[in-house]
Amino acid sequence: MKVHIKHWHAIAQWRWDIGKNDEDDDGEGDVCGICRVPFEGCCPSCKMPGDDCPLIWGECTHVFHMHCLLQWIGTAASKQQCPMDRRPWVTAERKVDAGNPR
Amino acid sequence: MIKIWSMKKNEDQAAKKKPKTSAAQIRVQKDLTELDLPPTMKTHFPDPADLLNFTLTITPDEGMYKGGSFVFQFNINSNYPHEPPKVKCTQVIYHPNVDLEGNVCLNILREDWKPVLNLNSVMVGLQYLFLEPNADDPLNKEAAEELKRNREQFIYNVKTSMRGGTIKGVQYNKVTP
Repeated sequence: MKVHIKHWHAIAQWRWDIGKNDEDDDGEGDVCGICRVPFEGCCPSCKMPGDDCPLIWGECTHVFHMHCLLQWIGTAASKQQCPMDRRPWVTAERKVDAGNPR
Repeated sequence: MIKIWSMKKNEDQAAKKKPKTSAAQIRVQKDLTELDLPPTMKTHFPDPADLLNFTLTITPDEGMYKGGSFVFQFNINSNYPHEPPKVKCTQVIYHPNVDLEGNVCLNILREDWKPVLNLNSVMVGLQYLFLEPNADDPLNKEAAEELKRNREQFIYNVKTSMRGGTIKGVQYNKVTP
């Protein structure tokens, strides 16, 4: 039997690698805690997700849309603290390894 | 690849034409759909198209404020969630953490606000004030003093105030049916 392929559609999907092994481990998916939009979406001031609206990692392991986090850190009320745990915000060099305990 | 870039341009243009929904509105919309309020709390939207200004009625079913019906005005500005919602009590009530103008002393409405909190956390916090009035951080100093000095008298004053009575020259609003 000979098969002739007439058409094909390539489909690709992408996700930010946020260092979590299992998806949706908290049942609500991975959303930015500030704007509540999925990480793969974009922050409210952006129009296109992806490299234009990247994520930012803190040394406390918390992840946000970079624009959301920077806006918060820019307010006096933030006292430069992580919005999750109130530890001083220190941007991590790169994402925390998936194998590390969180 | 080229096609994707041109699609992106088109989307940029399309997005510019759309009437802009503010970031605060988008976030409030999400907060409201996630509201999980006990039967003791009800929201009311005078203008259903305006999600940023509404009232919350708290009717505690236990504690010393049981039987009262307390109405709070919520005003959310465009910096939400980077700024907390503005919340005021619309009645004159006798409560250590609410002053006679209706300003509320609740940590998460002020210094402890953070943008990962939501409207649900604020509402639950408000209800908690009626279950556990806090004399250590008072806005109504008279009420706080009384709560510390003589709890029985304080509870009596609460009942009086909720019926619309007068305590130390201040007349309070009737909040009971």
